[in-house]
Amino acid sequence: MARQEKISKNLDWITVLLFIVCVIVGWFNIYAAIYNPENPLWIGDPGFFETNAGKQLIWIGTTVLLIIAILVIDYRFYDTFAFIIYGFFMFMLVAVLLVGTEVKGSHSWFRIGGFQLQPAEFAKMATALALAKYISTPMVNLARFKDQFTVSLIILVPPILILASHETGVALVFASFMILLYREGLPGVYPAVFLATIILFVLSLIYEEWQIYIGLAVLAGIIILIMPRYERKTKNIITILGIAFVMGLFVTGVDWAINNVLQQHQRNRIKVLIDPDFDRKKTGYNVRQAKIAIGSGGLLGKGYLQGTQTKFDFVPEQSTDFIFCTVGEEEGFLGSLLVVGLFLGLLLRVAYLADQQKSRFARVYGYGVVSILFFHFMVNIGMTIGLMPVIGIPLPFFSYGGSSLWSFSILLFIFLKIDAHRTQVLSRW
Amino acid sequence: MNIKKDIVMRLRFVFLLILLFAGGIIWRIVQLQNIEGEKWRKASSLRYVSERTIEAVRGNIYADDGSLLATSLPKYRLGFDPLVSLSDKNRRIFDDGIEELCKKLSNFYGDKDWKDYYSMINLARHEKDRYILLNNSLIDFQDVKMMKKWPIFKEGKYKGGVVFEKVNVRYNPFGKMGFRTIGYKKDKEKVGIENSFDSQLAGVPGKGIFEKIGQGSFRPIDGGEEAIPIPGLDIHTTINVNIQDVAESSLLRALKRSGADKGCVVVMEVATGEIKAMTNLTRMRDTSNYAETYNHAVLGLTDPGSVFKLASMVALMEEWNLSNEELVETGDGKMKIGDKILEDSKTTGYGTITAQSVFEHSSNVGTAKLMLKYFGKGNEKKYYKKLHDFHLDQRLNFQLRPDAIPRISPPKKGDITGLPWNSIGYGMLLTPLQMLTFYNAIANDGKWIQPIIVKETRVADKVEDDFKLKQEVDENPICSEETLKKVRKMLEGVVERGTASNIKNDLYKIAGKTGTSQKLINGKYRKGMYYTSFIGYFPADAPKYSCVVAIDNPRGVKKEALFASDASAPVFKEIADKIYACDIQMHKLLAKDANGGVKLTSQKQIAHTSDIKAINEEFGIERKPSNEGWSVMQAENGKVHYEEHSNPKNKVPDLRGMSLRDALYVLENKGFKVSYSGFGKVKSQSIPPGVFAAKNRTIGLVLN
Repeated sequence: MARQEKISKNLDWITVLLFIVCVIVGWFNIYAAIYNPENPLWIGDPGFFETNAGKQLIWIGTTVLLIIAILVIDYRFYDTFAFIIYGFFMFMLVAVLLVGTEVKGSHSWFRIGGFQLQPAEFAKMATALALAKYISTPMVNLARFKDQFTVSLIILVPPILILASHETGVALVFASFMILLYREGLPGVYPAVFLATIILFVLSLIYEEWQIYIGLAVLAGIIILIMPRYERKTKNIITILGIAFVMGLFVTGVDWAINNVLQQHQRNRIKVLIDPDFDRKKTGYNVRQAKIAIGSGGLLGKGYLQGTQTKFDFVPEQSTDFIFCTVGEEEGFLGSLLVVGLFLGLLLRVAYLADQQKSRFARVYGYGVVSILFFHFMVNIGMTIGLMPVIGIPLPFFSYGGSSLWSFSILLFIFLKIDAHRTQVLSRW
Repeated sequence: MNIKKDIVMRLRFVFLLILLFAGGIIWRIVQLQNIEGEKWRKASSLRYVSERTIEAVRGNIYADDGSLLATSLPKYRLGFDPLVSLSDKNRRIFDDGIEELCKKLSNFYGDKDWKDYYSMINLARHEKDRYILLNNSLIDFQDVKMMKKWPIFKEGKYKGGVVFEKVNVRYNPFGKMGFRTIGYKKDKEKVGIENSFDSQLAGVPGKGIFEKIGQGSFRPIDGGEEAIPIPGLDIHTTINVNIQDVAESSLLRALKRSGADKGCVVVMEVATGEIKAMTNLTRMRDTSNYAETYNHAVLGLTDPGSVFKLASMVALMEEWNLSNEELVETGDGKMKIGDKILEDSKTTGYGTITAQSVFEHSSNVGTAKLMLKYFGKGNEKKYYKKLHDFHLDQRLNFQLRPDAIPRISPPKKGDITGLPWNSIGYGMLLTPLQMLTFYNAIANDGKWIQPIIVKETRVADKVEDDFKLKQEVDENPICSEETLKKVRKMLEGVVERGTASNIKNDLYKIAGKTGTSQKLINGKYRKGMYYTSFIGYFPADAPKYSCVVAIDNPRGVKKEALFASDASAPVFKEIADKIYACDIQMHKLLAKDANGGVKLTSQKQIAHTSDIKAINEEFGIERKPSNEGWSVMQAENGKVHYEEHSNPKNKVPDLRGMSLRDALYVLENKGFKVSYSGFGKVKSQSIPPGVFAAKNRTIGLVLN
């Protein structure tokens, strides 16, 4: 009892409140997304628990139990068993390849009764724990190549396994750990190269190869010209030209990769981003429908359960990946603002809490939570409004899906549990 | 310090990144909803949910007895929404039923193998199409009901993905009958009653919110009706399906026989001006088939020819009191007027004949001479004034649009050929219907009445618009009773002794006039190409129907076949015969007129007792057979005797005096086979009555 009191006292209720609001608002949007005006089902109606909204209600109930379990378990458990948890989920990722069920082309689900679980969702949390554990080991320095190598190994194994089960979207999430690593002292050149890579990648999709070569040459020339005279040494000039040359090679590589590595539907998804009118009926369909839904919402939206695009399933995957459309269409700009604000609040609050941690493990893990949530938030909303290519990842706490709700809740509440005990932890840093 | 600074810097950078992206998202939403908002809202409403008109149910077109001539039937097209079957929940429904469903589809439509349906549906699912048309052919509601029991389909729209797209199809229960008169709406081509009464038939379309479910197909959203459509009015025509049928088949036979270019028939009820039948047939280019493609009766302006002589005679009688007996010198049938020569069809001429004879033989010279004698000396205007009084130079304002405008104009000064040629129906343009209307006025005791084809419009049983009230009627008779008497005598004489004596019959009298005009081709009248017509009414004693038959350019072997007497008049007779045979009222009227009572035939008749009772009821015969079953009826000295008809087992019964229908019924019930020839009642039978005959034996009947 004493511990319980302590938990309730030390738990960061602001985060919990933000979490609860997210889940509730999320559920109402799922209900709206599956709402069929010709056959409206409410709790208690026969068949209700077969709808996504009904099932999500069950998931929410079980999530509450999970949260209680997490809060009850000793906070030191996560620190101590981080690698074991990581190992367990890596095993699960391998297992799912062998015994999993295929759903919508991805071989990444375990079917238990009527419910399905996707271990990939939980691998994010496990990797965050493992990273936190490793980085918090004394003497680990991310500026050192050896540690960089180990860390990249921890980060890269799960996405490789996940890619093997054709869940590209979830695999991409692991790129978000770059934020965590940067915060923990990874040299700035890594994220810089990473960002430059993405920018070049996108540019090479938009422009012809030769245009980018010329652009790179001009850019290098300008940099050399505006360099202070004392910096304009042969060595520096050669470095700049070298970088430009490498970038040029990269562009060539990207072109080759786009045509040879990416699958047609993946190429199309990126093309749609650049050219919204591309392939309106197939690949462009989702994005266009999503844009119509959000764009037609206006300032105040069409009203709850009044969305015309939403109601008649014009937007595919509306209760899962495209849940934000429902918000945009029915609740309009103000609703969207509220949801973005909610997430922003949650992210900043967790980031703030992470920074308050005395233990490096807790802090790193906290940033892991921030990284993952941020990536999901950015990519999911980004794709529904046409800022990002369509990558099938859910909006945390909003999207329908037991695995995602469970994994995000576990992710968040492990952090909240550790945070609740931060005064008990001696700084190991 | 440096490390701390670095960390704070990195922390800020991370926060900045998050805020930057959140800002980016908000900016993008602002952009989508406000800057591009209009565009997306439009896309939302235009492409997927849109206000659409809800088609009103088109009104029906009825015949005079309430038979349906044209109606709208709902038909359906079968579509499928493959996306429905892709959700996890519905996948099982789909997987379990698809094979059986495809087999049923293949069976039902019989156009392709079930595997083709299977792969078509699977492809659409793979491509994530929202809608595919499973088959383009139209099915009716019964089929829809049946299909709703099929696997997958039985789960309905939202689980099974089945879509029945409703299409209203115009259906004419009598097929091609009166096709051009009833009309049709095909793309931009609109004709007939369907066209002229389109605004009434169409109703007022409603408006509603529809949601797009596929390429070009929409489904209404419940409660989305903003304005409920008002169904179109029902059109009740004056068309009589039996008369229409007779007119059409008679005309078709005549046209096929003569290989004519085209022809038309209009049957009109004398007293009411109601058009009972209107048929127009045109030979299809380079074939011997005919189809209703143009309404010649209403639109076909042409030189009416000799049928117009009636108007001249009426004018002469009215204005100058011409007597039927006035003698006219026609000489050798040739007459030079100005630089033109007027000829009679009889090359030797008729000599000196009466006006009655001039009309009966359709002498051009005689008519022209009479005309010149009376209307010639500066009295031309009086003639054209009379034609105006006869409504011949005025449009009919007929219900079917467009309305043809007749062209009759007095000759210019100095034109001495105008009047004589006009008087015999040349140099003017009139339609068959306009000519018929004039003849109808003569039959209708001089009362001119506008022809009418649509009696009224109704909503259910409530009359909305009664066109009988708007029917134009000339209060003043177009001629005196004396003129009527004289002119009717002329018309009856045509059939009695004149150019149409070939259609004379004993049962009832026909009055009418033949017309054979040379066709005006490129401004010249051509010999060998004729426009033939016969206009008249029957029965002549108490006119009930007037009728025009026009046949254009018949190609006879004999020269005479080219003329009206052989081409058009027999069609008239055929139609008149059948109408007469079917019209009990007409018989009653005639019989009463003739004998002041029912005329009984002395012939032996065999009929079913219940039929006899019904017939007696109709004719007011009091004596009725007392037995059941079949009766033999015989009249003697004005009295009817009945006796039971004997029909022993295994023996051939007496069939003489039975109608074919009854004979067939009796014989086939006994297991005999029947062959017959002729029509009417049974006159003789191949196996005499009372003889044993094996089943399956064929008994030949001769009808008379």
